[in-house]
Amino acid sequence: MERGGRFPRYRRHAKQPAASSSTSSGKVSIPTDMSFLQANANPSSTISPNKANVESNSSTAAQAAHPQPVTVREQDQYMPIANVIRIMRRILPAHAKISDDAKETIQECVSEYISFITGEANERCQREQRKTITAEDVLWAMGKLGFDDYVEPLTVFLNRYRETENERSYIRDPILKRSSVGVVEYESLGMPPYIPSYPRGPPPQGIFDGAMMGGYYKDTSDSAAGIGGSSDSNSLANFDPFAQFK
Amino acid sequence: MRQAGRYSGMLCGGLSGRSGPHSLPLARIKKIMKKSGDDVKMISGEAPIVFSKACELFIEELTQRSWMVTMQGKRRTLHKDDVASAVIATDIFDFLVNLVDNNSSNSMDNPEDISS
Repeated sequence: MERGGRFPRYRRHAKQPAASSSTSSGKVSIPTDMSFLQANANPSSTISPNKANVESNSSTAAQAAHPQPVTVREQDQYMPIANVIRIMRRILPAHAKISDDAKETIQECVSEYISFITGEANERCQREQRKTITAEDVLWAMGKLGFDDYVEPLTVFLNRYRETENERSYIRDPILKRSSVGVVEYESLGMPPYIPSYPRGPPPQGIFDGAMMGGYYKDTSDSAAGIGGSSDSNSLANFDPFAQFK
Repeated sequence: MRQAGRYSGMLCGGLSGRSGPHSLPLARIKKIMKKSGDDVKMISGEAPIVFSKACELFIEELTQRSWMVTMQGKRRTLHKDDVASAVIATDIFDFLVNLVDNNSSNSMDNPEDISS
């Protein structure tokens, strides 16, 4: 891809017009080239399963000293590898090891899966002249593309999520926030909006409990983990419970 | 877009295991969905949430199948080749065939003449 190869790293540090450099053009060409990039700033065209390609693109884009986000960073194309590994480890026995290339491959496969399903769902939306891809479209696409085993558990998941959403709006009723029974309810139903009045212990941990929406989703409904978990977590120093209110 | 579980990324970073509601970041999923085609316009709030769970199922299935290949080889380390074998052996993973074979540039150059 020509967009990547034109600006070798040394140029940035050379601090010269680089008119005499080995590559074809110096500074003058940069705006032109960047306008080419702008004209073609099509994120979809930078999709490439080859990570090295993307990395060189983004580094050279930076080298050109134009902060144009014309290429997608590698990490934006994929699910975070830590999350992927965590899910893999649920399946694998304790003694199993995973090679790095396997981790990366699965990481790439996930992104491909999302694109694949979304493409089909999007086509359906277009055929039906709708602009928004809905959860139903996604589920339909999965069924069509052979992932029908997923459809039922996903439907259950989606329905539980929707119920929780409805209950969340219900729980904004100020009467509920003071209820001690609500301690358990909150952790299964969602983040209580009235955080300062949350009756449990130091606010960050209390909020953490409240924020454990995982209750509605957890397969092993260890609801105690939500409350007990707060004592385990040391990592909430930067947790900003009010972020959603900003 | 609904922000349910927006803390999941932070929660998952801080906790071990699956205590977050969605173990995959919704914003990233949405980004990938948008990139899947030029004409992807709008995405409902629920779609990334469905995907977060679907991707878990997908990863679990792919891992499971790959691990079976590893075990057949009496090994304990899951390699990329095992993933590739699992992909090839599974019909619904056909869309991944090129992906797992991406390093061999001449993958198209070998016309395996299967005359049937």
